[in-house]
Parts: sequence; C-alpha cells; structure tokens
Amino acid sequence: MVRFRGRTAAAAAVVAAALVLTVKGQTPAPSLHIENIGLSAVEENTAIWSEARPGGRVDALKRAARETAARNSRVGASGRSYTPGRVIVRFHDEVPAAERRTVARLASDTADIAARPSYADFDIVRIDVNEDAEAVAAALAARPQVVYAQPAYHVHATMVPNDPNYATLQWNLPLVDLERAWDIQPAGASTVTVAVLDTGMAYRSLTITVNIPGFRNAGINYPALGPSVVPYAAAPQLVGVNGANASRIVAPFDIISNGVVPPLDFEGHGTHVSGTIGQLTNDNIGEAGVAFNVKLMPVKVLASFWDVIFGNAPFEGGSDDDVARGIRYAADNGAKVINMSLGSSGPPDCATNPNRDGCSPTIEAAVRYAVGKGAFVVVAGGNEFEDVDPDFGPNPTSILAEIASRINGAVSVAAVDPQKNRAFYSSTGSYIELAAPGGTSRGFGRGGFIFQQTFDFTFTDTFDPTVVPPSQYRAPRFDVLANIGIIGTSMATPHVSGIAAMLVQQGITDPAAIEDALEKSAVDIGTPGRDNSFGFGLVDARNALRGLGLSR
Amino acid sequence: MKSAMAAAIVIACASAAPALAQDDPSIAIRPFVFGSVQSFTAIDTFDAVFGRAYDPFYGGGVQAVFDGKFFVELSASRFRQTGQRAFISGGQKFRLGIPLTATIVPFEVTGGYRFHFSPRVRPYVAAGVGSYRYKETSTFNDPSEDVDVRHAGFVVNGGAEFRAHRWVGIGADIEYSHIPGILGSGGVSLQAGEKDLGGVSARLKLIVGR
Repeated sequence: MVRFRGRTAAAAAVVAAALVLTVKGQTPAPSLHIENIGLSAVEENTAIWSEARPGGRVDALKRAARETAARNSRVGASGRSYTPGRVIVRFHDEVPAAERRTVARLASDTADIAARPSYADFDIVRIDVNEDAEAVAAALAARPQVVYAQPAYHVHATMVPNDPNYATLQWNLPLVDLERAWDIQPAGASTVTVAVLDTGMAYRSLTITVNIPGFRNAGINYPALGPSVVPYAAAPQLVGVNGANASRIVAPFDIISNGVVPPLDFEGHGTHVSGTIGQLTNDNIGEAGVAFNVKLMPVKVLASFWDVIFGNAPFEGGSDDDVARGIRYAADNGAKVINMSLGSSGPPDCATNPNRDGCSPTIEAAVRYAVGKGAFVVVAGGNEFEDVDPDFGPNPTSILAEIASRINGAVSVAAVDPQKNRAFYSSTGSYIELAAPGGTSRGFGRGGFIFQQTFDFTFTDTFDPTVVPPSQYRAPRFDVLANIGIIGTSMATPHVSGIAAMLVQQGITDPAAIEDALEKSAVDIGTPGRDNSFGFGLVDARNALRGLGLSR
Repeated sequence: MKSAMAAAIVIACASAAPALAQDDPSIAIRPFVFGSVQSFTAIDTFDAVFGRAYDPFYGGGVQAVFDGKFFVELSASRFRQTGQRAFISGGQKFRLGIPLTATIVPFEVTGGYRFHFSPRVRPYVAAGVGSYRYKETSTFNDPSEDVDVRHAGFVVNGGAEFRAHRWVGIGADIEYSHIPGILGSGGVSLQAGEKDLGGVSARLKLIVGR
C-alpha cells in the first residue's frame, strides 16, 4: 500500500523543526518494558517470502565477481573494456585441434587453447594478461582458419532496480543519476557505515509492554489506556525478512536514554530517512535505496510523541547536547558518514559571533570533532523558506546547516522537486551547499513525494485526530509498515549521505575531499554558479563516483 | 632504460675506431627506432591517474643528414597506458578504480646540427614542432565522453650519436616538449592546474645508416 502524508511539509518538519535549543531536564526513567520477542512486520500489499534478497550469499558472490572484473578490465584501442588474458576465437569446424594451437601460437607466443566452455561454439585462447588482446584477436582473425576472433569485451547491466515502486514512484533516484552510479558501484557501499541521527530506526522486532497514561493533545483529552502491549517490528526493507540482513545494523544507541532503551523509532521519520540511504534494493519489493548495502548505525537523538507518553523523553524533538553527543558517538563508533535530517532556526551571524544567544557552539564543536575523526557530516538545509520566525524573521537561518557550511567535510542540503525546482519549503541562504530531491506536495500529487518503507502512520498516530478519530483512540502498533511518501530537506539529506557512502567505498575517504567531490560533480541548476537556493547544484551520483580523467 | 642507455654508450665507445672513419656523404637517409622514458610536466595529473609521472614512448622515424652536419628528422611515437580515474582534493590524490586508458601519438619534425668533435661521437642539437594526438577513454564512458584531440607543440633536444658500426649508430639524447591546449581545461589536470602534456624525456635511438 502506498500512502503519503497529506500534512505536507509539516510531516517532515515535525521532527526537524522541533529540535529544542534549551537544555532539557533530567530524563525520567523509561516506563516501558521490552522483551526480545516480536512478530515479523506486516508489509502491506507486498509478498515478501519468496523473493531473493540482496545481501544473500549468491548475491554477494556475484557482486564480488563484478568488482573483480572491474579491477581486471583493460580498455582497448577501440574504447571498449575487456578482460585481459583471453581472446574468443571461432575456428572453422574442419580445423583440427593441433592446427588450432599452432595458429594461436602464431598470433601470440603465450597462446594456449583452453578447454571449450559449455554452450559455446567458440574457443577461448588464453594469452599473457599483459598482452594486447585486441592485437592478438586481429592477428588471429587474419588467419584463414579463423571465422572470427575478438577480446572478451565487457558488458554490464544498466541497473534498473526491480522494486515495483522504483519505476512508478521513485523519480528522485534517477534524478541524481543513480542507475549509472550503480553500474559503477554495484556493491552499494557495503563496507561503509552511515550513522542516522534521528528519531531512531525500526531495526529490530520486539514486544513492548508499557503503561500509557492519559494526555491532552490538540485540545482533546485522551484517556489512560493503562498497561498495554505495543507490537514493534523491524522494517523488512532495512534488515530483511525475519532480520536476514540484521548484520548491517551497527552499534545502535539511544542518546536520549543514554542507552537504557534501544533506539527504536516511534515516529517513522528515522526509518524513512534510513530507507532513502540504504533500503534493500532489487528485491522486487517496495522501493530502492541509494547505497542499498550500506551498514546503518541508528543513533536516536530526537524524541517523538510516543517517546514522551511512554516516559522515554521529557519532550518531543531533541536538544543541542543530545545531538552533539550523538555526533561524537557516531564518530567514535566507526561511522564514515553521519546523516542529520534535523535542524533549528537561529541567528544568521553565528560564524562571527558564535556565543550569542541562539547559536550552537556545542554542535559545531561536535561536527568538527567528527570530521576530524574522518566522518563526513550531512545536514538538512531547513524547511522554513515560507516561515516567519518571531525572533529571526522570514526564511530564518538553519543553524545546523549554517554550521555545516563553515566546515570542510560537512555539507548542508536543500531540496528540489521532480522538475529540479527549489522545493517551496526549502530554506535559502549563503549556507546552502548542495541540493537533492526532497519532494513537494504542490503540483505533482503523490508523485511529488519521496517514498520509502516506514510505519503506516494510521496505526501509529492514534493520538492525532486528523489521522484517527478520537473516539477510536487506541494503543499504537509499530508492526505495520507501508510505502510512505514524505517531503522535506530531511528527505533530501539522505540522498547525499548515501552517495557519500558510495564515494567512500569508491576510494574518497577524506571528509573534505568528499565534500569537494560532491560539490564539483554537482549539476549546476538555478543561477549559474553557486547560489543560495541550490548551493553548488544538484548532487549527481554518477558524476561523483566516476571521478575525473586527465583532460575531462 | 638508464642501464640500457649506459650499455649502448659503452658499446659505442669500445668499438673499433678505424672502421668508423668519417667520410660523410652529402646526403644520408637514415631510418631509426627509439624508445624513451618521459617525465611528464603534468606531474600531479599523471601521478593521480597512473600512480607515477613518467612512462615510456616507443617510435621510429627517418633522418636526412646533409654533409654530416645539418639534419632534418621526422618521427612518430606512441604512449599508451591504463590507469584509473581519479580525484584531487587539497593535494590528496584519490584513485577510483575505474580503468582509464590514455594514448598519446606525437608526430614531430625537427631540424638540427651535428658537431664534429670526435669521429665516433657526434653531439647534436635540434628543435622543431610536433602534432600531438591525445585519446582518453574510460570504462563506463558514454562515447561522447571519450577524448580524441590533436594539438601542436614544440620540441628541443640535444644529445650525441655514437658510431657502433659503419652503418649503425646509437643516439642518446634529452628532449623537452611543450604541448599546450590539451590538458588544463578539465579533469584532474584542471584540478591540478597543469596545462602541458609534454615533458622531458630520455631517448635512446638505434640508427641505421652512415
């Protein structure tokens, strides 16, 4: 089932805009009880049990083979790459084996004819790997005993994921040229860890028993439900069916509770963001992700409504200290990319006056620490273009994005719609460095949203009268996952994080160099040159991964 | 290459002198082949892609020598090497594992003068112009992304020819080439701020003829 949040940008901004700058009080002891048992997720309208999944043994072997082939390729004078050390030869049928060997030796001193492979009407002539296979093939083709001869030219699939929603809903991934990027790197950043600093992640299945007190929301009194069982399921598109790919989850940690409870996502934002970074791909289910084999580190720094009700956090959102600790935790635990789909408005002059009210030197120090440890930091550019902040005016500066813009090795990300226009909500300013698809609710229907698998909010947002009538209020359940469309710079940011992870795997490991590569390979849109809406332009995965030749 | 050149010099100097007495013809047409090792001016560019900034060229040509002194030389050679696409940032070079093959085909015309200091050893200097074809292709390239351009440059060289035999000479020289217009407008050469495809090469020639 495909759903999208009709609450427009607010859905993505719920968390992003809720980052609280004041120092929060002591976190109360969590009241929820967690048992390590849980049922599999309900995936709406998907058949999950009969499909091969990426990451399995066969798939891994294929990927390894492709990587090896790429390393061993040679580009011929024709411009096509081939596998060195072999030439494909079709001899006339009447030519005996001994003569074939003689003919082969005339073309190359090192030639030898291998046993004919199955399903072949040709032979493989093995030659020294340093020899020019095109030249040997040409010499062989000139012999009267030979019908044709050619090097073993490479062919490669132009990867178009078979995930059903990729073709119908995911305009965002082709927009940044990911198909050709996947051709370059079919491994999908399998050796790289991306930390997702967010509302948590649906990364494990649990049964939660919690006392749900009464509360007041949107002017409505909701009754106490008392001890309740809340089912919670891992997102199959992140960790595989029945957790088959759970090993990709690295060092999960809940900063808010200081590790007392696992960093479970009770909102859906962090799971959606994680899906864009690395949702399982080419498995005939749901959507694709950017770096679909990447390792994911859930670091919970933002609390959701249910976290407050469950007693896990004193308020929704997060605070500077939590975010700073999360950044340092991620850097200390091996994250090479840190995704921060969060933000907060503040004054525009923190660069020159970092200690004035509204600035966040704590987070700036943490980002510098992480970059110094080799982690690339990606920060949402902000959703406040149409907002008027009572303190900072219209289109207020996004403090965290502004910090990122001043640090080599951290970037801020604006959002574009399917036609590469600035998304209506995407904040602008001199601190914007890159743009990526964030989607829009204006003019494109559901086709303007960014879709990934996360919780079906009709089962989780039972406290919201616009989702569930108050008369039908019930305990939430977090085991129903659907294909949900959301918009925001929160959604644009993980595109850049995923591509950054692929860049790390490709060999660019220094955070400042990653930023440099992403900015130099971006496609300039809007006003020529760097501008305040798109920064250096729309990130381009293929351009970034492909790097540069000598002259072009 | 250096050891081969030294060996050639030793061989030439150790050869019997009487057989090499100079009686230069008014015009001598002399084909030759040569190998060279070129140290590219665009050090960072070549180092980023190939892991080093020097590589061999192989080629050949023909000389016309007038009265044993003045000469005109036509030569063609070829460089072909496979490296990796790369990225340079902050002085760091990152090689990305995507094969890239570059081919340089110089066609040079030089004119020079041979000095007569010794019957067996003829120092010479020359200068000239060249036309340089440069091709670059990479795995995953679209055809439009391949490079195939030609640009003019100039060369100067100087060295000595050693008579190993009445009909065989060995030349060793140093050549400097300057080839603008190919590098510097894109790729890692733009990042590195390097615009010259040429460099300094040590050449060893095997010359047939008097």
